[in-house]
Amino acid sequence: MIVALALTSVLLLTLDLRGNQVFDGIRSGFSVVMSPFDRAAEVASAPVVRLWRAYDDYDRVVEENRALHAQVDAQRSAEIAAQNAIIENQDLLALEGLESLASYDSVTARLIGQSPGNFDQQVEIDRGAIHGIRVGMAALNEAGLVGKVTSVLPQSSIIMLLTDPSYAVPVKILATQEPTVVVSATTTTSPSTTLPSALEVAPASGDSSTTSTTSTTTSTTTTSSVPAVVRETGVLRGQGDLRLPRVSFIASSTSFGRIEVGDTVFTAGGSTSLAPPNIPVGRVANVITRAGTAGQELEIEPTADLNRLQFVRVVLYLPPSEVGG
Amino acid sequence: MEAPLRAWLPRLLLIGVVLLAVQTSIATELRPFGVAIQVVLACAAAAGAASGSTEGAIAGFLLGLMYDLGTGTPLGATALTMAFGGYVAGWGRQYRIEPRWWILAGLTAVGAAAGEAAVPLVRVMIGETDVVSRQMLVIVPVVAVAAGALSPLFVPTMRWALRIRPVELRLPADA
Repeated sequence: MIVALALTSVLLLTLDLRGNQVFDGIRSGFSVVMSPFDRAAEVASAPVVRLWRAYDDYDRVVEENRALHAQVDAQRSAEIAAQNAIIENQDLLALEGLESLASYDSVTARLIGQSPGNFDQQVEIDRGAIHGIRVGMAALNEAGLVGKVTSVLPQSSIIMLLTDPSYAVPVKILATQEPTVVVSATTTTSPSTTLPSALEVAPASGDSSTTSTTSTTTSTTTTSSVPAVVRETGVLRGQGDLRLPRVSFIASSTSFGRIEVGDTVFTAGGSTSLAPPNIPVGRVANVITRAGTAGQELEIEPTADLNRLQFVRVVLYLPPSEVGG
Repeated sequence: MEAPLRAWLPRLLLIGVVLLAVQTSIATELRPFGVAIQVVLACAAAAGAASGSTEGAIAGFLLGLMYDLGTGTPLGATALTMAFGGYVAGWGRQYRIEPRWWILAGLTAVGAAAGEAAVPLVRVMIGETDVVSRQMLVIVPVVAVAAGALSPLFVPTMRWALRIRPVELRLPADA
């Protein structure tokens, strides 16, 4: 019996993973059947959940509150500068006719559920196909990339978080190199011809004359260059709940400069990437150098706090390859 | 399984729907040690502990299918692991005709542990990577202990669902 059930499971898995309209229809129907039970369970469990959170989260929330106050104070001035930079950036992109994140429509959704399992990093949101959401669209919050839509029902969707082992997205790493200071000393020896000054009194004979001399000039030049931004691309993959996502397939070329802890990571976009370009993903938390030709791997600390999600924004973006297809 | 499938299937489906609602609401929020308690898996294991390996595997398979349909996991993935959990719990049942409550709790815990430990193996089988981690050392025991603690509630529930009459749990007076 167990063998028959195992074989049936494998058959169902094979059919489902290859994409099956019948199974999708059954899922939609089942979600309709489940929705009143889900709502009832949500209402009934709400007091218990609140009580548990109050017990479980209190110390952490107090500590986090203190840290956040300090962080807010530190970031006020940076925010003003950043806002200014964003506006300038959008103006420039508009001038050049380039698309930016602000040029895509989006749908804001509330989280209504988490993954019920211990091996999936997924959340459920209260917006679905009737709101324009499609499978593959990127989800983000104010801090940055959150994940992508993996399943869409009429009134709700499932979002796979970027920590899920099945998640992958092309990214670029922007490494800002420190300004370089160049001090150079130059000694120049050059012959020069000095014309007589017009103010000089002409010789009595009335002839004009020139004087040839040799001048030596020593100059010291200090050059401070503008911070240079270097780009390198790779693929970010989730590693599970308690591990940081990693970027691999990095073109380890000296022309890109060195990647260091703290460098910023953005989505790379591209004709086939499901995420539009320039969504903040996180910062490099660790650079792992692997032996041989394996190249570097980077651990990325996501900017979005995936454990504290309440609302997400689904960008209604489809890559050119999908639109064309 | 004494009662025919059509007799206990509606009860099992009803329990499955209710448990799934509990799983996706309260069980995902209350995470002791960061682990989501698997009430549906615990019920599948309780079915095995209550009636035997075949019944446990079938109940686990059906409950797992409902779980897959309700949560968006690949259809058959959870069905396979829960069928395995129910089977393991029921396999231990064969050595005792009328187990004490704590034996049933132990069988439920062992079945739930087996089912949860099988999840990453199935995920690897369908092509996922990096599923197996040291966190498993926390997840599996927590899921098992929770299932054992819930067994006094789930074992009678699954006896009702599978229509196992109390008389079936008794040995004849003089066999």
